[in-house]
Amino acid sequence: MNHRFLGSISALAVAIAAVWLMSAAVAAQAPSPGKQTPGAKKWTPPRTPDGQPDLQGVWDFRTVTPMERPADLAGKEVFSDEEAAEFERRTNELQNRDRRDGAGSEEIGPDGRSDLARAYNDFWWDRGTSVIATKRTSLIVEPSDGKIPGLTPEGQARDTERVERRAFPAVGPEDRSVGERCLLGFNAGPPMVPSAYNNNVQIVQNRDYVVLLNEMVHDARIVPLDGRPHVASNIRQWKGDSRGRWEGDTLVVDTRNYLGETSFRSSGPNLHLVERFTRVAPDILLYRATLDDPATWARRWTFEVPMTRNTEPLYEYACHEGNYGMTGILEGARAVEKAAEDAARKQKSEN
Amino acid sequence: MRTKLAVVLATAGLLLAAVPVLAHHAFAAEFDASKPVKLRGTVTRVEWINPHTWIHINVKNPDGTVTEWMLEGGTPNTLLRRGINKNSLPAGTEILVEGYQAKAGGPRANGRDLTFPDGRKLFMGSSGTGAPQDGRDPSDR
Repeated sequence: MNHRFLGSISALAVAIAAVWLMSAAVAAQAPSPGKQTPGAKKWTPPRTPDGQPDLQGVWDFRTVTPMERPADLAGKEVFSDEEAAEFERRTNELQNRDRRDGAGSEEIGPDGRSDLARAYNDFWWDRGTSVIATKRTSLIVEPSDGKIPGLTPEGQARDTERVERRAFPAVGPEDRSVGERCLLGFNAGPPMVPSAYNNNVQIVQNRDYVVLLNEMVHDARIVPLDGRPHVASNIRQWKGDSRGRWEGDTLVVDTRNYLGETSFRSSGPNLHLVERFTRVAPDILLYRATLDDPATWARRWTFEVPMTRNTEPLYEYACHEGNYGMTGILEGARAVEKAAEDAARKQKSEN
Repeated sequence: MRTKLAVVLATAGLLLAAVPVLAHHAFAAEFDASKPVKLRGTVTRVEWINPHTWIHINVKNPDGTVTEWMLEGGTPNTLLRRGINKNSLPAGTEILVEGYQAKAGGPRANGRDLTFPDGRKLFMGSSGTGAPQDGRDPSDR
């Protein structure tokens, strides 16, 4: 698939999104910049053979819209068309990983990264080049300031502890993130969040289950729909424990019982996540995630990503077998320790 | 309207500072910012794998010996979606690499910038605009 084709698919998705924006049913969820057509017929998705709304397919959640509203856009919820185009142009220019500005390798460039942290050429990245179709200035829709609520003291302590732990040379893989360990994907959560690349999820449905297959790390979340309760509170799972139900045409997935190993923006094991999936147009799946964790944040918060249909398949992300990076990180940690020991010994012998 | 656009422009920098830098793979833990390398070599093989592609090249040292370096790239999935596959960089191709050497030392670095000797970026064509098959780059397929 070449770039032009992908471009035309995005253009199509945006056009479909514009029709969706005119639907009165959406107005309640996303402020429409005056494009509503009164009495517009709400689009309803076709049904699966089991009579459920059909959400199946591969869905693409790339975007350059940030999770949080930038400080200078405080109070501005939606871009105009012109502002959105300019934001895209400027963001793509700033985020281009082929930037080599910064005189030294550790100097931070205008994009907030050092040369080393940019990692490799821009052609490896696939973060998206467009803002979301609603042209909101943040993915966060609740609270209205578009910012993640403040951390509680416990949340702050958890955050600090993790940062401090990561600053030390890793003793083993357990000291590194679940993404670096090839256990879970950095964009799969749950919740799912637009990120560097492979922002794809495939949905498969049958009568009793919905399967959310994330490209990163070829991980299938199997969600029962039969109303069974969550597992007991003492049973903890890496991706939490998910239960699904239909509310009208919306699939609601309720997740609890996270293990402490996983954390989303400093969340703790008692995070309660509610995801909503609504197919609002033939090629748009509106994904809405509400995070509730009183131990971590002062209040709950919600973000929304309109995912667009991807006509291409997922590609297998076999990760662990190729994870030279972890070996490199641990070898690097040992080298840092050895250098420190050598320096200390030298210091001692000179005294 | 111009003022508004200026605001949008000005905030883009702030925007990026506000977004947490993706830490799926802390390059600073694996590679050494104080050990930049510049290499010229011929491709011996490409490991077209996740989580990262690794490109192996033979580099001729000043003393005439040859060292095989391995260079870390990104996920091949992104390139597959642009019509590029593991055969797009055949063995024997000469490339230039700028990167940072592994903290543990040895012939391993991240492929910070991968180009052909004439300056064209690998996998991207002459303009680097993301149009691998725009006809300008004779090595594109």
